[in-house]
Amino acid sequence: MLGRMRARWLAVAVAGALVLSGCSAGSTATVGGDDTLAVGFTAEPKNFDFTTTDGAAIPQALLYNVYEGLVKLDANAEIAPLLAESWTISPDRTVYDFHLRSGVTFSNGAPFTADDVKFSIDRVRTEWTISLKSTMDVVDHVEVVSPTHARVVLKEPSNSWLFAMTTRLGAMFDPSGVGDLANRPVGTGPYEVTDRRRGDSVVLSANPDYWGRQPAYPTVVLKYYSDATALNNALLSNGIDVISGVTAPDSVPQFEADTRFNVLQGTTNGEVVLAFNNRRAPLDDVRVRRALTLAIDREALLAAAWGGRGTLIGSMVPPTDPWYEDLSHSYPHDPERARRLLSEAGQQDLHLRLRIANLPYAMSAAQVVASDLGRIGVDVTIEPLDFPAVWLQQVFTDHDYDLSIVQHVEPRDITTFGDPGYYWGYDSPRVRELLRRADTGSPRQQVADMREVARTLSEDAAADWLFLFPNIVVAKKEVTGLVRNQVSESFDLTGLGRG
Amino acid sequence: MTRNLSLLAGVVLVGLVVGTALVSFVWTPHDPLLVDASVRLLGPTGDFVFGTDKLGRDVASQLMVGARTTLYVGVVAVGIAALVGTPLGILAGMGARWLGELIMRVNDLVLAFPALLLAIMLGAVYGASTLTAMIAIGVATVPSFARIARAGTLQVMSTEYVLAARAGGRSRWWIALRHVLPNISGLVLVQSSVSFAIAVLAEAALSFLGFGTAPPTPSWGRMLQESQELLAVDPRLALVPGAAIALAVLGFNLLGDGLRDRFDPRLEVRR
Repeated sequence: MLGRMRARWLAVAVAGALVLSGCSAGSTATVGGDDTLAVGFTAEPKNFDFTTTDGAAIPQALLYNVYEGLVKLDANAEIAPLLAESWTISPDRTVYDFHLRSGVTFSNGAPFTADDVKFSIDRVRTEWTISLKSTMDVVDHVEVVSPTHARVVLKEPSNSWLFAMTTRLGAMFDPSGVGDLANRPVGTGPYEVTDRRRGDSVVLSANPDYWGRQPAYPTVVLKYYSDATALNNALLSNGIDVISGVTAPDSVPQFEADTRFNVLQGTTNGEVVLAFNNRRAPLDDVRVRRALTLAIDREALLAAAWGGRGTLIGSMVPPTDPWYEDLSHSYPHDPERARRLLSEAGQQDLHLRLRIANLPYAMSAAQVVASDLGRIGVDVTIEPLDFPAVWLQQVFTDHDYDLSIVQHVEPRDITTFGDPGYYWGYDSPRVRELLRRADTGSPRQQVADMREVARTLSEDAAADWLFLFPNIVVAKKEVTGLVRNQVSESFDLTGLGRG
Repeated sequence: MTRNLSLLAGVVLVGLVVGTALVSFVWTPHDPLLVDASVRLLGPTGDFVFGTDKLGRDVASQLMVGARTTLYVGVVAVGIAALVGTPLGILAGMGARWLGELIMRVNDLVLAFPALLLAIMLGAVYGASTLTAMIAIGVATVPSFARIARAGTLQVMSTEYVLAARAGGRSRWWIALRHVLPNISGLVLVQSSVSFAIAVLAEAALSFLGFGTAPPTPSWGRMLQESQELLAVDPRLALVPGAAIALAVLGFNLLGDGLRDRFDPRLEVRR
C-alpha cells in the first residue's frame, strides 16, 4: 500500500517536473550564452524592405545595425559622421561635398564607393514608394567626383535634407544587393541578417569584414512578442536580456525594485496628440479649442493614463529637438476659464465625437479626456477605431472626426502643421511661411523660426499635446551602453557593451 | 433534489446580477466614470470595496453598472435570436418539406459562422459598439433557437390532438398558435437561459478584444482587458470582473439546467 502510494506521488512529481520544464523551455532556449544578446520588441517587421514598406519596425531593426548612411543621428540627437568621414557645405547651402570612408565593403563583398551614394540617393526617387520619400525631392542631382568623393546638389537650400539623410532615406545600398530587399538586406553595417523566424525572431550576426569596431555581441536575437505583458515576462523569466521599450508603464516599478535590472527612462519623438478638427465647426473657433485645452488636466492625465511616465510638452516639439522650449504651462488647468470661453463662443451644449485608435495609450487617455471635458459640460462620445486600417481611412484620410488621439512618432513632424490637407485641418499662412523660411534659411534662422512655429501652434491651440511618450528601456545589469533617449529611427546596437 | 438545487443556485446568482443592475440605476458608491489620478490603483478599502483601477475609478461602481451592460446585451441578443429563430423553426417544422429543408440548410450555414468573427466584421464596418455586439451575437444565436423549435414542432405535429385538429379543419395558423407554441415554450425558455450565458461570455470576449462596448461605458469584458497589462502588478483588477463573468455565466447555465429538468417531458418519463 505504502509502495503504491509512493509510486503515485513519484508519478505526480515527474509529471509536474515535465509540465514545469515544458513551460520554461520556450522562453529560455534563445539565450545562447555570453556572446548572444536577446532584445525584445512588440512590433515585428513585415519584411526587411523599408523602401516600399511603411512602419517603424523595419528601420528599428536594420538602420545603423545592418544599413548605414553617410551620416547618423547620435545619442544626443546631433548629426554625426558615419560612412562620410567629413562633409563641406557651399556658402549658398545647396552643394554638399561628402568625403567617404575608404575600405568599406557591403556584406556581399562589394566595395562601397561614391557610385553607391549616387545609386542610393537616385533610387529613392525612382524605386521607393513610402510616403517619407518626398523629403528627397529637393535633391537636384548627385555627382561622383572620385571614388571617395560624392557631391550632392540641392535645388534650393534645405536644413531638413541632411537630417533626413540620418533616417532610413539615407541608407546606402549596393546595386547588386537590391534584388531581394524584402528578404535579403545587404548593407555596410556591423551586423547582417542571418536568420528569420516569422512571428518569432530575427537573428543578426556580426559582419566579420566590418570597417569599424566589432560589436560587443557577435550575435543579437531580436525577439518579437504580441503584447506588453508577454514582453515583460520574457525578461523576468530570462528569455531576453533587454526590453527595447516598455509599453505597460505600471509594470516598471517591478523592474526598478529588482536588482538584476537597470531601468532607463528618456524621451522619444512620439507626441500623443489630442487632435482638433480645425476645419470643422465648432473646433474652427480658437476659443473652443482653447477652452478644451484649459479643461484638460494634462498632469493628472499623464499620471492616470501612463503612470506619470512621460513628458508634458505643450507643442509639437520633443526636448531633443534644437528648437525645443517648454510650452507645457501655456494652458494651466482652469475649468472655470474654460467654461467662460465656451459661453463667450456661444457653445453651451457641445457634443463631440472622440474617434481614437484602439490602442492602450489612446483608450486610457480618451477616458480621462472625456471625464475632464464632462466637467465643463462638454459631452464626449468615445469611438475606438481599429488601428491602423479603419482609423487611417476614416480620421486621417476622410477627416471624419471632431477629436482624435494618436501618437505621432516621426521625427520633426511639426512640419505637418504646414500642410492644410493634413488631418489637423489647420491652415495658417504664417506657419507655412515660417516653416518654409526655417528650411531654406541659415541654421540659426531655422531654430528661431521653428521656435516661432511651435509658439504659434500653442497660441492657436491647433491641437492639445497631451504628453510625450517615454522611452523606457529595461536591461540586465551586464548590458551597458544603452541609449536613454530614442531620437533616431533605429534601435542602435552598435554602442552596446558588456559590463 | 438536485434539480431543485441547480434551479435554486441559478435563481440566486441570476437574481444577484439582476438586483445589482437594478440598484445601479439609483445608487452606486461612486461615479463609475469619474477619473481621479490621486487615488489610482488603490487596494480594497472601506471607501472603495474592490479598490480603484488605473484611472482611479471605483471598481465596485463599475462592476455594478457593468452588470447593466451585461444584461442589456443578453436580453437584446437572446430576444433577437428567439423572435427570429423560433418562428423560423416552427415554419420549418410545419411548412412544406422543401421549405423546411431550405431553412435548416441556411441555418446550418449561419451556425458554421463564428459569432465573434461576425461581431468583429460588423465592428470594423460600423464601429465597435454595444449595438453591433448585440446584433452579431443575436444573429449568431438564431440557429440554435430554430433547431430547438423545429424539433419541438415536429414532435407536437405528430401528436393525436394535432391530427384531430387538422382533421377538424383548423388552419395551420391556429394549430401553430394554439398547440405548437405553448408546447415548445418550455424548450425555448431553457434555450434562452443557456443562450444568455453564451451571450454574456461573447460580450465579455468582444469587449476584451475591443470590438464590444466602447469606453467609457463600464463593461466587465473591458474591465478585464484594461487589467491585462497590470496582471503582474495588481491581479485584483482581473479577478473581480473575471469572477463576475464566471458567476453570471454559471448562474444562467444552472438556471437553464434547472428549467430543463422542469420542462423537458422526456426527463419526466425517465424519472
